[in-house]
Amino acid sequence: MKKRAMAPVMILLLMLAMLASACGSSESNNGSGDPVNADKNNASENGKEQEKEQITLKFMGWEVSPLETESVKKGLERFMQENPHIKVEYTTIPGGTQYVAKMQALELGGEAPDVYFLQSDYYRDFAEAGRLLDITDKVNAEGLAADLIDSAVELSTVDGKYFGIESCIVAPVMFYNKDLFDKAGVPYPPSSPDQAWTWEQFVEVAKQMTVKNGDNVEQYGVYGLENYYMTIAAIMSNGGNWFTEDLTASAANTPEVKEVLTAISDLRKVHGASPEAKLLTNSGMSAAQMLQTGKIAMLIEGSWGLQEIANMNFNVGMAVLPKFDEAITHGQAHLHVASANTEHPEEAWQLIKFLSSESYQLQNVKAGLWLPNHKSLYTEEGIAKWLTDGVHPEGFTDLIPYFLNSKTYPYAMLSSQRIQDNTTAELDKFFYGAQSVDDTVKNIEKQTNDILASKK
Amino acid sequence: MQRKLFYKDGFWATVMLLPNIVGFLMFLLLPVLATFVISFSNWDMIDAFKFNGLTNYKHLTEDPVFHQVLGNTFYFTLVSVPIGIALSLLLAVFLNQKLKFIRFYRAAFFLPVISSMVAVSVIWQWIYNPEFGLLNYALSFLGIDGPTWLTSASWAMPAVIATSIWKSLGFNMLIFLAGLQSISDDYYEAASIDGASKVRQFFSITVPLLSPTTFFVTVMSIINSFQVFDAVYLMTQGGPARSTSVLVYYIFQNAFQYFQMGYASAMAYVLFFIVLIITLIQFWRQKKISIY
Amino acid sequence: MKERIWVKSTAHLFLLLGSLVMLFPFIWTICTSLKDSSEVFTYPPKFFGEQLKWGNYERMTERFPFYQFFFNSLKITVIVVIAQLITSSMAGFVFARLRFRGRDGLFGLYLATLMVPAQVTMIPTFLLMKYYGLLDTHWSLILPGAVSAFGTFLLRQFFIGIPSALEEAAKIDGCTPFGIYWRIFIPLSQPALATLGIFITMGTWNDFINPLVFLSSMDKMTLTLGLANMQGLYSTDWPALMAATVITVLPILIVFLMAQDAFVKGVTLSGLKGE
Repeated sequence: MKKRAMAPVMILLLMLAMLASACGSSESNNGSGDPVNADKNNASENGKEQEKEQITLKFMGWEVSPLETESVKKGLERFMQENPHIKVEYTTIPGGTQYVAKMQALELGGEAPDVYFLQSDYYRDFAEAGRLLDITDKVNAEGLAADLIDSAVELSTVDGKYFGIESCIVAPVMFYNKDLFDKAGVPYPPSSPDQAWTWEQFVEVAKQMTVKNGDNVEQYGVYGLENYYMTIAAIMSNGGNWFTEDLTASAANTPEVKEVLTAISDLRKVHGASPEAKLLTNSGMSAAQMLQTGKIAMLIEGSWGLQEIANMNFNVGMAVLPKFDEAITHGQAHLHVASANTEHPEEAWQLIKFLSSESYQLQNVKAGLWLPNHKSLYTEEGIAKWLTDGVHPEGFTDLIPYFLNSKTYPYAMLSSQRIQDNTTAELDKFFYGAQSVDDTVKNIEKQTNDILASKK
Repeated sequence: MQRKLFYKDGFWATVMLLPNIVGFLMFLLLPVLATFVISFSNWDMIDAFKFNGLTNYKHLTEDPVFHQVLGNTFYFTLVSVPIGIALSLLLAVFLNQKLKFIRFYRAAFFLPVISSMVAVSVIWQWIYNPEFGLLNYALSFLGIDGPTWLTSASWAMPAVIATSIWKSLGFNMLIFLAGLQSISDDYYEAASIDGASKVRQFFSITVPLLSPTTFFVTVMSIINSFQVFDAVYLMTQGGPARSTSVLVYYIFQNAFQYFQMGYASAMAYVLFFIVLIITLIQFWRQKKISIY
Repeated sequence: MKERIWVKSTAHLFLLLGSLVMLFPFIWTICTSLKDSSEVFTYPPKFFGEQLKWGNYERMTERFPFYQFFFNSLKITVIVVIAQLITSSMAGFVFARLRFRGRDGLFGLYLATLMVPAQVTMIPTFLLMKYYGLLDTHWSLILPGAVSAFGTFLLRQFFIGIPSALEEAAKIDGCTPFGIYWRIFIPLSQPALATLGIFITMGTWNDFINPLVFLSSMDKMTLTLGLANMQGLYSTDWPALMAATVITVLPILIVFLMAQDAFVKGVTLSGLKGE
């Protein structure tokens, strides 16, 4: 009987506890969300700076390599030393689509961090939605753009306005395993854009570097071209592009694009000099590991790969991509942006400025992860600041003009996620299925134009 | 008077449901209702919220990608659910015996369930790798030249299905096991005395008495497989050529990559009504065939 | 008797083969977590590297506030498991046994919420959390976790299967519905409760999307989120990633092994039935 009477009381208590705790936590959260509270933490840190109001900036990014994370942290320490009144709280969350999903939620709820990383192919979406702080006046007042290479300026501006600054550039290049070339007695691929191989020369070498044991291919000549990202440079080199110049329509259905797609596909299907692209990335083995272990002789990869490759202790070389007409690569990278909702636009700008400074960029450039987007870092004097023995392979300086003149990554110039997905699906049908090149480019053209038309 | 109230179902139902219902309304039902409202709008999370009636639903009828992913989703469900349920029931019956090492077996079959899909997908991608992978290595001993699995438009889906069944087998197995455990031994003893064979016992005792559990497993399996996402997202990203792209993956892309929350919500509600109809049919059948 | 031995050995053969298939990827995970990164992709595949590299584990735990994240996950998981077992078993009992108007409709509504994928409800949930003032607190994971349509449904199904004869006897003895729930249904449902307990542990411990969206401060993050972060960081460092996987799976494995007793012993209804 006693037990029975207790039961409802206990349940009520339980419910009250739940309700009470819900209220309690909401209060405490409101408290910590108030930036004024955070002042107390570091107010006493520096007596001289007392006159400036102490503020805390929230800064969010993702992690791609331990090195990059270390350099962000080191850089932030320096920034806080130089600006004692600003405290930066750096948080990292997993990158990729998940990162964008979280940022959208945070922006929508007015909870976005003051400053954050943003992928270049989402930058325009966010800027056009009014999510980002307009920093045009500040960029212009500082004359910051004068030292940025052309593609960096083009990528960072939306209708002439700055909402962020590109962190660096990364560009598709060729890595090769020198030992394999020595063994085969084949000359190394050229690093200077002036001496770039023609596509025919490249195919010949790729065939030469393919080693068979009976029916089994032990070593492939080249790997890495069969996706829309890596086809871009080749198409540009052939005088084409995936889009028309004003980015209002698809330029897929052109002889330039068709020639490149056919040539890349032939490399594997006709010449047998390349493994199926997706197979290898899906194996979990990184492309760099394949190059290291001699499964492939040449690797077409983003320049960021150098950081990992440099630490792998094998004899690596870097070269320009083979050309169709002109040796060309393209550049892009994530941007540092500030939220339009930030309560500290001035300090947020200070942080963005710091993050795009030469000295900050240098850390990652030295390690091979980034390429500079400052013109001053491509002068002889500038190059000396970052060219690092044991990271940048012999002949790297020959590649400088290649990067300096890199073109703007077209997919970053328009709201393009759906176009990227559709293009990938159609290219899959071409590279791994039986769809003809004509049908492929026609489908891409139609789907891309439909999407672009619906945006207008 | 007080005593009477104390024994009334309604009073106790209210008291015992209250904590659950409060949380349910606050955290589960409201977002689901909000999504329903959003599905009639052009909301892109940017411009002002504007209703556009049935426009999203009309668009769906014309979207070839939607038709493709819907087909893929049915393919996934129709293959994975029956196989998954049959295997896990069989397994549960075996694991309900008094055998040696039973704890080891149960743990072994349950391990895939608790491993993270991220790690699982990495290992399976390696297993399926045509050149360095284990599966084709094993097949080569049988003289079979295995397909390219995850990059083959016709084999990628079966590969994803196999991984999904492998991953969730232990989940359903455990529920069946719990169900089997609550069937009294008396029934089997009585049947044994009557001379009924094991197989007969299985169909005349186990199957009917397990029907609430089977019903639960079936309903949940269908709901879960219509919402399959992780396996696809991590193993194939819907490729090659969208051959493994499923409904929820396309919903995710629309919501967070194409900024079309209204359209994504409409798709989610098409999914909802499909699953709802299937579930209602199951409820109706359940009512017909059993006493519950 | 002969038949029994035959049945038993078939069962063993079937189960042993089956568990090898099930276990293989996991064994592979452990082996890989102890290899040097250069040994991961040898062909033909090998189980062990030259040396056992325990350093892979240290590397994972040193890179981020492992113990803080571990504690956060533990705290959230323990509270959610207890709270959800209470709410789900009570609601499951109500839906299975008590009669009141609108019961089936309400239960249908519970089921309906399971049919809408989380990918679309994420943004509305986020905005609600902000409205409740729960963003970036552990409450944003605990309070929604305390209620589950899945758990309610699961336990309802188990309670339905409990013979009503037991209940009638208790009613005659003067038990309230709560008394029946507490003294008959809960003790008889140990396997079901243990099953649900494991599922909740698993779901909460492995939950990735909710912590990702709701938490923003480093000191509040959970282990899964921290490890997902690592995965971006070490995208090619397979041994470290596999070490991380082993670390996350271990706690759930321990819970599972402990909860196994509930199945092994089971519950015999026979003693009660005759009354």
